[in-house]
Amino acid sequence: MRHTLTVLAIVAAAAWAIPVQGAQVLHMYTALDTAETQLYIPEFEKDTGIKVEWVRLSSGEVLARLRAEAKNPQVSVWYGGPSQDHIAGKKAGISTPYKPPLDWTLPANAHDVDWHWVGYYFGAIGFGSNADFLKKAGVPAPTSWDDLLKPAYKGQIAIAFPYTSGTSYTVLATLVQMMGEDKAFEYWKKLHANIHHYDKSGSAPVTQAGLGEVGIAVSFSHDLIAKGSAKGYPIAMTFPREGTGYEIGGISLIKGGPEPELAKKFVDWALSVRAQNLMQQWFRIPLNPKAEVAKGAVRADQVKLINFDAVKAGDDRDRLIKRWRSEIGQ
Amino acid sequence: MSNAVRLENLRKVFEGRGGSSRVVAVDDVSLEVKDGSLVTLLGPSGCGKTTVLRMIAGFEAPTEGDVFIGDERITALPANKRRTSMVFQSYGLFPHMTVFNNIGYGLRIRKVPAPELRARVLSMLELVGLAGTEARLPSQLSGGQQQRVALARALITEPRVLLFDEPLSNLDAKLRVQMRLEIRRLQQRLQITSVYVTHDQDEAMTLSDQIVIMHQGRIQQVGSPQEIYSRPRTLFVADFIGKGNFLAGTVRAVDGDRAEVEITQGRLRIPAGGFRPADAVWVLLRPEAIGLAPAGVGRWQGRIAAATYLGSEIFYEVAVGGQNLLVKVGHPQGATPLEAGNPVGVVFDEGSLHLIPREGTA
Amino acid sequence: MNELRKILREPVLAAAIGVIAVSLFLFVIYPLFKVFQMSVVEDGRFTLHVYRDLLDKPFERRPIYNSLILGALVAVAGTAVGYLFAFAIARADVPWKRFFRLIATFPIISPPFVLSLAAILLLGRKGFITRMLFQGQWDPHIYGLRGLVLVETIAFFPTAFLIMLGILQAIDPALEESSLNLGATRWQVFRTVTLPLSVPGLASSLLVLFVESLADFGNPIILSGNFHVLSVQAYLHITGMVDFGGGAALAVILLFPTLAAFLLQKYWVSRKSYVTVTGKPSPARLSVDPFTRRLLFVLCLGVTGLILLLYGTVIFGSFVTLWGANYTLTIKHYASVFHIGGRYLRDTLILASVATPITGILGMVIAFLVVRKQFVGKGLMDLTSMLTFAVPGTVVGIGYILAFNERPLLLTGTAAIIVLLFIFRNVPVGIRAGVAALQQIDPAIEEAATNLGAGSARTFVTITLPLITPAFFSGLAYGFVRCMTAISAVIFVVSGRWNLITIAILGLVENADMSQAAAFSMVLIAIVLLVLGLIQVGVGRVATSQMGYEAAG
Ligand SMILES: Nc1ncnc2c1ncn2[C@@H]1O[C@H](COP(=O)(O)OP(=O)(O)O)[C@@H](O)[C@H]1O
Ligand SMILES: [Mg+2]
Repeated sequence: MRHTLTVLAIVAAAAWAIPVQGAQVLHMYTALDTAETQLYIPEFEKDTGIKVEWVRLSSGEVLARLRAEAKNPQVSVWYGGPSQDHIAGKKAGISTPYKPPLDWTLPANAHDVDWHWVGYYFGAIGFGSNADFLKKAGVPAPTSWDDLLKPAYKGQIAIAFPYTSGTSYTVLATLVQMMGEDKAFEYWKKLHANIHHYDKSGSAPVTQAGLGEVGIAVSFSHDLIAKGSAKGYPIAMTFPREGTGYEIGGISLIKGGPEPELAKKFVDWALSVRAQNLMQQWFRIPLNPKAEVAKGAVRADQVKLINFDAVKAGDDRDRLIKRWRSEIGQ
Repeated sequence: MSNAVRLENLRKVFEGRGGSSRVVAVDDVSLEVKDGSLVTLLGPSGCGKTTVLRMIAGFEAPTEGDVFIGDERITALPANKRRTSMVFQSYGLFPHMTVFNNIGYGLRIRKVPAPELRARVLSMLELVGLAGTEARLPSQLSGGQQQRVALARALITEPRVLLFDEPLSNLDAKLRVQMRLEIRRLQQRLQITSVYVTHDQDEAMTLSDQIVIMHQGRIQQVGSPQEIYSRPRTLFVADFIGKGNFLAGTVRAVDGDRAEVEITQGRLRIPAGGFRPADAVWVLLRPEAIGLAPAGVGRWQGRIAAATYLGSEIFYEVAVGGQNLLVKVGHPQGATPLEAGNPVGVVFDEGSLHLIPREGTA
Repeated sequence: MNELRKILREPVLAAAIGVIAVSLFLFVIYPLFKVFQMSVVEDGRFTLHVYRDLLDKPFERRPIYNSLILGALVAVAGTAVGYLFAFAIARADVPWKRFFRLIATFPIISPPFVLSLAAILLLGRKGFITRMLFQGQWDPHIYGLRGLVLVETIAFFPTAFLIMLGILQAIDPALEESSLNLGATRWQVFRTVTLPLSVPGLASSLLVLFVESLADFGNPIILSGNFHVLSVQAYLHITGMVDFGGGAALAVILLFPTLAAFLLQKYWVSRKSYVTVTGKPSPARLSVDPFTRRLLFVLCLGVTGLILLLYGTVIFGSFVTLWGANYTLTIKHYASVFHIGGRYLRDTLILASVATPITGILGMVIAFLVVRKQFVGKGLMDLTSMLTFAVPGTVVGIGYILAFNERPLLLTGTAAIIVLLFIFRNVPVGIRAGVAALQQIDPAIEEAATNLGAGSARTFVTITLPLITPAFFSGLAYGFVRCMTAISAVIFVVSGRWNLITIAILGLVENADMSQAAAFSMVLIAIVLLVLGLIQVGVGRVATSQMGYEAAG
């Protein structure tokens, strides 16, 4: 018996001692998909020798957690998620400014005025329809926001909760900016009748549409490609002709984060040509002009975009979400 | 150093758990067990015997009162420091240890060196007649053997006091008789102060230097087996030990060491034992103190009401003056038992009668 | 007073009681208190407005009804299936008893949401059955109440089965025989003797299943669709909306029915039992008539078939290239379990193997104290240590992030908080095993050791511990399973440094990465089975080296 106890004690001691060998560890929350994160992080680790410990959360969840941990920040970087979520983060006081040294210019809408966050990719909101579903139902793919309200799509649309997902909040903000707030909520109430369920993660509907669990996913174009057609799912991508919203994917440095220097290195790396090129695998549109765009990826000049005000969207986030919850009742 | 055990005004109250009421298990028990003697606590189930024993062992803390061994007050001493050894009713053998390790356990706790431990365990096994079984597990022994292991385990640490809690009640009748003689033999040989709990009066009679009769948490009487049997002080004791006929009476006069007692059947002159005129008494008439005589002979006349034939003896119920007397007759070889309805005479010696105080109730 | 003095005389014992009391307070009571406090205190003042706000809104009220309805349905369905199996095995002597028993307990060791995953693979709109059997003409609507009742019934009926099996085996067949003897038909025997004697077990099973369903998080977060339930809503409030007050209030609302059911079970139903559980299981001698036996057999076969189908689908799914589009078989998902999932596996295993032994030992020590020792506050210790069992993981998780987010108890982000959560959530398992084992051991055995000079600690180590070793290991085994499959509470406290495989699987399912999730689940189940097997072998060896305790008692 005594031996057993000794062994247990040693095991316990060893387990506590194992973590974090080597000094350079960067902690981050990422709003990218696990599978996508795996495309970038090992490359960063290879390039810099810095080890990264990351957790994947939906961007709304990242924000929630960063707020909760404000007194005791656990990570140094928030990687990914649309800029309006990062703007809301700035408003919540969880980020800290950093201006990366660049030999090219980021467009003004692709970074915070005070550099609390920087953008690193572009992506537009689109519709992904399951081709089999369209064929069987004998309906065309939706090409306008109003199409989504068609009775033929009843119980066939999936989208995420606007409060957990940056994607879905982008949709909400887009509608509000396009139609005006009251009209937008009227619209969503009608849309709700066609929605099968809400997901936590913005890209989750894509695979569900691919599988045929739902007929149509509302998500970002790169997710529609990367998790849909590129994987082999029969996903047809369309865009609303009235114009659509978009995101500038952002990175924030966390105020009081444990590894500020490593975090800055990460931002520099994410904007480098090498890192920006890696995004071809996920069909994101790089912001660095020297980087290459994946074939089939949807660039800003290929769809009709609305004049999307991300700052306003970020500022209004709490209010719009509160209203959304009480009007849609989810 | 004396290993006498002294109990002073011991009292134990169990506070009722979950709604049940409190139980006074032991009430004002004072007792002295002389060094090297064996005292039996005897009484019906639930009278508090085990509780007294467990307070001596230290498993229960007295609500009031003190326990001494010799001159040392041990009331506050933890059970494992008291050097008392208990033989449990269920033996309490360690099921995962061999006989050897069971017996050697106490020595190991005392850090006795291995060679000495071995020698002592083996000689103890010899003493209790279990040589050769040391490698077995308790489950591989018979009941009687388990009992001996328990005894050996208790003895080997040379305890100051040996405690027994109905150690023989799980054995069959024959083994029980054999084991109690063995326990007595060992105890006398080793001269260990012992307290022995039982509800079996035969066991108490054969084993004890002194018997303590308990009833409802209180001591009724302390005395040698003969004293308890022939001079019980209460109706309870007299009734609990052996069989008896109890005749209600009143002391009419005291004349020297004899008291004149009036009962329904007449007047009797009985050793007074401190009673005074007008005292209400029970007259104890033991069945074996009565003899039967042909009708017309003897002190009283009666009729056989029933006979129980037990081989070596016969119990008769004899109706005398509206009361049935139990009479024990050593069965004379060849004679046929008397039949119910036969008239008989009843004989006894007034000097063998005994008086017990009688309070209101019968 | 006396008892206090007696305890103080034994420093090891006093220290153990002290340490346990303090830890139970810190890691069980305090987090719950924080949840409660968060829901009623705002800006340092007491207020009920969080509750008022919540209960004002129909969409916040809805999950309360939903959870209760789901809980009630699952309790009834699960108890019925559990009773069916228990009766078939203990009383009807159906063929294939061992097989049924094995299958009926299997869901206990699998992560809860695996069944939801299977349900989607089978009955989703693109599910196997939906497409093959119904050619997609009929939508089973498994996202919501229907699906949840199905998977939770399968997931939780094993508990009902074990409870009912215990009760049925403890009913003396002589009772049924004498009823038969007095002229009752077999059906009358069942109705007048067997069923009434099972009532306390049925009641207790209903309550336990109700609690399990209410506390379930893994299944509803995957399968609830728009049928929102409390546990998931509380989670979304906190992680999605940073609404700590609302989340805490929902947690408190969730706590009430579960706690009520738990207390009812512990203090009322268990008292009503006519059956003494100490008796040895008696063999079923009273057989039912052949027709009933065949019927029961077929029913059991049906349920086991369903269970096998569900797990089989997960196995198949884990080898499919792209579920829903490309059914070519591949092992690439297993390759990536170790590639992308390596760190999840490693972390989960490390955390579980640190927490499990501590849980086991703590459980045994508490069981020992509660069964064998007298001390002030013993009842409270007993109740507190069992509490985490009844409190839904969601509530505990929220409690932990609230309680350990600030100095001096700053634990968020550490391995310690996960380990502590594992320990205090699983310790009741160890305690139960220990209490059951201790009650089988004659107290005289321990007293004999004390009497021979051993102190409390020594008695515990040399006598009690070896005797309860088998119970210790089974507590250990189950504790380990629970660590490996935990999700509802730990989802709140995972961090970048320490990740758990269950949470990774949840993410995969949410992203509809079904095959990958299936592969992860299979690896998880394989690890659990492997460890259970190892423990089994260990216990087997222990048991043979100390054969036959009972004989001495
Ligand atoms: N631990 C206990 N808690 C409550 N009552 C007890 C306990 N132990 C004994 N008693 C009660 O004290 C009384 C005396 O018990 P005990 O000493 O075991 O009697 P005996 O050994 O003479 O049969 C009984 O009424 C019994 O029920
Ligand atoms: Mg007793």
